[in-house]
Amino acid sequence: MKVIKVDPEKCTGCHQCELWCGSEIASVGKELPLAINEQPQPVPRVYVEGKKFAIQCRHCDDAPCVKACPNGTMRKDPETGLIYVHEPTCIACWMCVMVCPFAIINPSPTIKVAIKCDRCRNMGYPICAEICPTQAMTIVDRKDYRKKKFTT
Amino acid sequence: MRYIIIGGSAAAISAVEAIRSIDKRSPIDLFSDEKTPLFSRVLLPYYVAEELTKPLLNFRALDFFEENNITAHIGVRVKEISADAKTVQTETGETFEFDKLLLATGGKAIVPNIPGIDKEGISTLKTMADADRVYNLKGKKAVVIGAGSIGVESCISLMRRGLKVTLIEQLSQVLPTVFDDEAASIIKAVVEEMGIEVLTGERATRFTGNGRVQGVVTSTREIECDMVVLAVGVRPDITLAKGAGIEIGSLGGIKIDKQMLTSIPDIYAAGDVCETFDVARNTHFINAIWPMAVEQGQVAGLNMAGQTTEYGGSVRMNSIGNFIGFPAMSMGVTHPQECTYVEEDCHFQEIKTRSKNTYKKIILKNGCIVGAIFVGQTQKSGIITALLRKQVDVTDFIPVLLSRNLNFMDILPLVRRNADRFTEPEFKELMDTGL
Ligand SMILES: Cc1cc2nc3c(=O)[nH]c(=O)nc-3n(C[C@H](O)[C@H](O)[C@H](O)COP(=O)(O)OP(=O)(O)OC[C@H]3O[C@@H](n4cnc5c(N)ncnc54)[C@H](O)[C@@H]3O)c2cc1C
Ligand code: SF4
Ligand code: SF4
Repeated sequence: MKVIKVDPEKCTGCHQCELWCGSEIASVGKELPLAINEQPQPVPRVYVEGKKFAIQCRHCDDAPCVKACPNGTMRKDPETGLIYVHEPTCIACWMCVMVCPFAIINPSPTIKVAIKCDRCRNMGYPICAEICPTQAMTIVDRKDYRKKKFTT
Repeated sequence: MRYIIIGGSAAAISAVEAIRSIDKRSPIDLFSDEKTPLFSRVLLPYYVAEELTKPLLNFRALDFFEENNITAHIGVRVKEISADAKTVQTETGETFEFDKLLLATGGKAIVPNIPGIDKEGISTLKTMADADRVYNLKGKKAVVIGAGSIGVESCISLMRRGLKVTLIEQLSQVLPTVFDDEAASIIKAVVEEMGIEVLTGERATRFTGNGRVQGVVTSTREIECDMVVLAVGVRPDITLAKGAGIEIGSLGGIKIDKQMLTSIPDIYAAGDVCETFDVARNTHFINAIWPMAVEQGQVAGLNMAGQTTEYGGSVRMNSIGNFIGFPAMSMGVTHPQECTYVEEDCHFQEIKTRSKNTYKKIILKNGCIVGAIFVGQTQKSGIITALLRKQVDVTDFIPVLLSRNLNFMDILPLVRRNADRFTEPEFKELMDTGL
């Protein structure tokens, strides 16, 4: 399983990732000037928090959002382990919002689907990591913390 | 290994998935007495409201059983369990043997003992058959009895179908187990604005009508109606468990241990049918909600397949979601008084913030979150849920937790301080960043 590693030393809090995620991924227009005027407003799936730390869905191993979703809308891709919203069936019940410990699911009042990062699963490479000017976000293998506990 | 699963809903399917994550081959027989497989009953109000058609009620694909190599006996009721012989008998007269058995029989809608309750046009809303019945009831005026989540959702469903609806609740507020009176009054106003009449503090005492229901008599009036939906609660369906001699807890649910094992070896239970350790109340409780049924099914399934796993305990959580058109949710207890286990040296705190459109409340017991309510602004509630479930002392973080700008990075020091409880890899990854 691959995860996005964020290096707070490198993150300058420039919000470029939010901007690109919002325009390139979330918008219909796919370009910033078009995205700015869109209604409903496109929402980014990455949040620059604590002033300088970009956080997005952590794609949990045993994802609480998947277990809370009452109709199988929140799914785990069996091949990549990525967690994504199967948007056509989402009923906007916000049960997933209630259990995501990282609070990265946006209960969009206008769009009425749960909005979260799927790490650009249909694009090959996540846009946030690609455009980050300081390369604060990199794709790395998830460490096996559980195994470490037994061997050391 | 031969597995038998009784039930076909949240807990049952989750258990099957957990078993199959370890054991791909052993035969699994699943029995469900409902004719429609794999539908989510959480969505039944949407079905009644004509917002979702039947195929959209499924929570797993229809080839789920085939894909997972499960023999599904749909529409088949299990009549009896012989714990000694390790067999189950179906109503159709067949006998099946098991090595490991799961009781995921869920709950039964409570039918209160009110004179006239057996009249036509009165129904609960629990099963697909109920939903079809309510959907097909004809008339212009409906009364819904009980203002819990199911009652409130039923009202809105019927209202959307063009009926005039009255909601009756015997307690003094709507959603009594979900909200305190302040949050409930906000929701009540939202519901009334939709055109639903809400009568709190009133009891239904009798149903009138000849064969078919024509009215509901309450302590103060008679309300004319063509149909009634009963939503006064659910109770664990322990018929089978009792017959098998399985120990039942004081609240009427199956008693289980940390591995979801009942009092009889090799028989497990999960979901609405059992009592589990409630983290917020610090005692056993029945938290009959979808996410808990899934979690418990998973733990039971893993243990049945031989991977020893302990359940960390349950917590009540409800989200009112977009059905009402207004985000509101709560978790744990809603009043410190609900903590019936209060010991002498317990210190409770209730902290609230209120703005024009939002209301937030956090209840702390000895510095740990035991309950929270979010109305209007709910996005960050998951952080509170995590802190509640891990029972960490948040005393020095209270202003942060109530802030509009709460985010996970703010509580990272808290997570790090309690690193022994945040053992999931996702938490470790963020702790590793050195922030
Ligand atoms: C209208 C409605 C709305 C709801 N909304 C929400 C919500 O918004 N959020 C939420 O978290 N929860 C909600 N719930 C609760 C949620 O649906 C339950 O917590 C969940 O379904 C519990 O799953 P379970 O597997 O434990 O049991 P159940 O879903 O009750 O399933 C048990 C199954 O076992 C079958 N069974 C029982 N005995 C036998 C037998 N002897 N032989 C064969 N089969 C048997 C039953 O027929 C049933 O199909 C709602 C419930 C209802 C009814
Ligand atoms: S949405 Fe939240 S709970 Fe779900 S996988 Fe992502 S980080 Fe985990
Ligand atoms: S909001 Fe959508 S994705 Fe989230 S739990 Fe509800 S149906 Fe599932």
